[in-house]
Amino acid sequence: MHIPDGYLSPSTCAGLAAAAAPFWYVALKRVKSALHARLIPLISLFAAFSFVIMMFNLPLPGGTTGHAVGMGVAAIVLGPWASILAISIALTIQAVFFGDGGITALGANCFNMAIIGSLVGYATYRLAAWRAGIGSARRVVAAGLAGYTAINVAALCAAIEFGIQPLLFHDASGTPLYAPYPLRIAIPAMMLGHLTLAGLAELVISTGMVAYLQRTDPGLLRLTAPDAPPADEPIRPAGGTIRLPTARKLWLAVAALLILTPLGILAVGSAWGEWSARDFADPRVRREIAAASRNLAPPPAAPRGLERLSSIWTAPLSRYAPSFIRGAGFGYLVSAMVGVGLIIVLALLLNSLLALRPPAVGRPRRKGFVEKTARGLLEATGQALFAEDMAATSGFLQHLDPRVKLIGIGALIAAAVAVHRLWVLAGILALGVVLALVSHIPIRLLTARVWLAVLAFTGIIALPAIFLTPGAAIYRLPLLEWPVTQQGLRTAGFLVLRAETAATLSTLLILSTLWTRLLRALRYFRAPVVLVAILGMTYRYMFLFLATARDMFESRETRMVGVLEPADRRRLAAASAGVLLGKTLQVSGEVHMAMQARGFRGEIRLLDELQMRPHDWLRLAAFVCAATLAVWLGR
Amino acid sequence: MTNSTSGVATRELAFDVREVSYRYNQVPALSWLSMHVHRGERVALLGANGSGKSTMLRLLAGLCFPEHGEISFLGESLTEQRLQDEEFFFSFRRRVGLVFQNADVQLFCPSVFDELAFGPLQLRWPAPRIRERVEEVLRAMDIAHLQDRAPHRLSGGEKKRVALASVLVLDPEVLLLDEPSGALDPSSQARIVDFLISCGNGSKTVITSTHDMDTLEDIADRCYVFANGRVVGAGTPLEILHDVELLERAKLIRPHAHVHAHGDGGVQPHPHVHRYEG
Repeated sequence: MHIPDGYLSPSTCAGLAAAAAPFWYVALKRVKSALHARLIPLISLFAAFSFVIMMFNLPLPGGTTGHAVGMGVAAIVLGPWASILAISIALTIQAVFFGDGGITALGANCFNMAIIGSLVGYATYRLAAWRAGIGSARRVVAAGLAGYTAINVAALCAAIEFGIQPLLFHDASGTPLYAPYPLRIAIPAMMLGHLTLAGLAELVISTGMVAYLQRTDPGLLRLTAPDAPPADEPIRPAGGTIRLPTARKLWLAVAALLILTPLGILAVGSAWGEWSARDFADPRVRREIAAASRNLAPPPAAPRGLERLSSIWTAPLSRYAPSFIRGAGFGYLVSAMVGVGLIIVLALLLNSLLALRPPAVGRPRRKGFVEKTARGLLEATGQALFAEDMAATSGFLQHLDPRVKLIGIGALIAAAVAVHRLWVLAGILALGVVLALVSHIPIRLLTARVWLAVLAFTGIIALPAIFLTPGAAIYRLPLLEWPVTQQGLRTAGFLVLRAETAATLSTLLILSTLWTRLLRALRYFRAPVVLVAILGMTYRYMFLFLATARDMFESRETRMVGVLEPADRRRLAAASAGVLLGKTLQVSGEVHMAMQARGFRGEIRLLDELQMRPHDWLRLAAFVCAATLAVWLGR
Repeated sequence: MTNSTSGVATRELAFDVREVSYRYNQVPALSWLSMHVHRGERVALLGANGSGKSTMLRLLAGLCFPEHGEISFLGESLTEQRLQDEEFFFSFRRRVGLVFQNADVQLFCPSVFDELAFGPLQLRWPAPRIRERVEEVLRAMDIAHLQDRAPHRLSGGEKKRVALASVLVLDPEVLLLDEPSGALDPSSQARIVDFLISCGNGSKTVITSTHDMDTLEDIADRCYVFANGRVVGAGTPLEILHDVELLERAKLIRPHAHVHAHGDGGVQPHPHVHRYEG
């Protein structure tokens, strides 16, 4: 769900960032008030917690794993406003420090996950829990529902953002310039993964966390439960296991939720103007498509591939199914879902192939998710430390003022997202390679960590667009007779090249910047002090929590005998997250004291960075000129 | 009380703690505890883990407030209301510094330089003076080379030194140290002890919580022994170290058995307690 750069048009990104702005403003206002002084360390540490939680591999039914965002938990513990800030900060750190999620798409990602996610999660929790006691089972169920609903509504928002791209942004030939799939594909494709895997992961984390807090620190659940009866909670004996739903109950819950959602998907219909196979026969729709494609007449019949795809599902059903199921629209929808499912399977296969490593000597047994999570945590730390080492070497980018670099590379990424010509895009990528060379950043590293990785992810997403994009067929696949359209090839090219260019540039930024300096320099942009302080604190404690979580999983790994049952693994993951949450809250309280002891009274103060020197301005101007030139050439 | 305290008896009281009780999550942490510290005195709070030393330091630093009893600082009562007053808050924070036991908690800024600048910034010193003072302390504590380092890039000993520096930058007259030499290698430990010895000239009031008996005489003029949230004994380091019963009761030593190897290869089990001979 972390939207990368290049999938959304600049205007969509700007619009969503603008939509997010008032929420951030209100959230900051609320946190700034002296009454909430304790919230500054709490938000920072929660953001760090959420960041680490996103690295937990949660075992789910069917042998798959998923990741949670933690927005349900954040909204339940912090309340909606502080949760908006905490998740936004976690997403910012992921985008800017780890290259996960785009820099131009940061506003969109924050809007979907931090804002919509927090608000929906909070509302669901309050409604579902109503006035139940703090220690009641109903609160646990409500938390699960909140996490599940929050991530799915967020995913739906992302899907709609994807789905409107081909409608609104295409060039003269009808080639979609950004995400190529219309709503009818984008929505089921996104929802399939989130209604099942990601939603379950969020559900497991949310229920586990609330159950943990009920046992250890029920007072923390009070903030978002003003209506709960004030009766003294009996202190329960510590220890014991957290009760989690069994796999069967999880499946039942998902099945129930799945039944409710296709109705929503169906209701979307063709109102948004995407093209189902049937629409090609309708003269009115044909005129619309033509107008949308700037008077390039659509092919007289539906591309045969499209027709074929839509009949995969309806054929065996046609006689007995009710009429709406026999409709081409539904058939197309279901075939798209099947297609997307296949793509996901393919992606997972490719992933596991890429992740295959020779087993460690003397440890032939596969330890599964514990080992995998421990390794993931170690890799995240290693990656961050490597970037810091790289930034400390000498090279062109390393010597730039961090402010110049942030704006300069940001401008180039924005240009890469804005241009409408493939060759200009290639030019920006070439500029990125030159910058890497003069900064002594090994090309081999970029190839392995950026180019191949992006190709594996975006490439797979772009692949079906070659066949599914309406346009002039230039080649037909033998046997299948799927048409390869010119527009399809171009849109896939745009998507992949944009994602590659933006990822290259942001990796250069990550590998050449000392964040301690940048955080200090941020003040120069009049960034709110609270925000800079929270960002810095999150970055700092992220390392502490990564190490804590790693220690937890590694010590578990050394004591593990035999293979854990899935239910045990889920319990273990939730319990580990619970321990981490406990640590988060404890450290947060102590950090607040440590801040107070040195004179903090709720209003934080930071040192202003020195002025920029003339040659800093000159270099900044050079970056901005290059970006402007690219946008002008590629318009 | 012996000679070492009679010299300071006439001095002003820095802290006067009278019959203080404090509960932490409904569990009593301090019960009816009284103690006092003179200005310029070095006092050690001795006690096993969970005996209430850390809680006492937090109360003295005005971070928590007692449920019963009273704490006064230089004759002025230290209450939550009193600390609401901005002028008193800033002057108190300037004069009393607390170094936390867990350096990870104390180092919450992205870099060492920022860490040292945090205190002076909150106390609204002018920026040029902050830069000057931070650089001075960085040099004095021999950590200038670490100034751009992030806390996760520091060793345990370096973290402790930075934590101490982040408090010393304000040049407080009262230093509260929570287990300053815990979990440190011998060389880092020696640096901290050297620093505490250097405070012995009466220039600073230092209250150290510790369960390290080896360095006690070097770092303190007087000790309080804590057990279960109460003061169970007080005196000079020598007096305390000779009171085996008291130390045993406070779980600071325990009778133990160990094995002596003899020249003939034989071994002899040998239960005993260690006595400290000044």
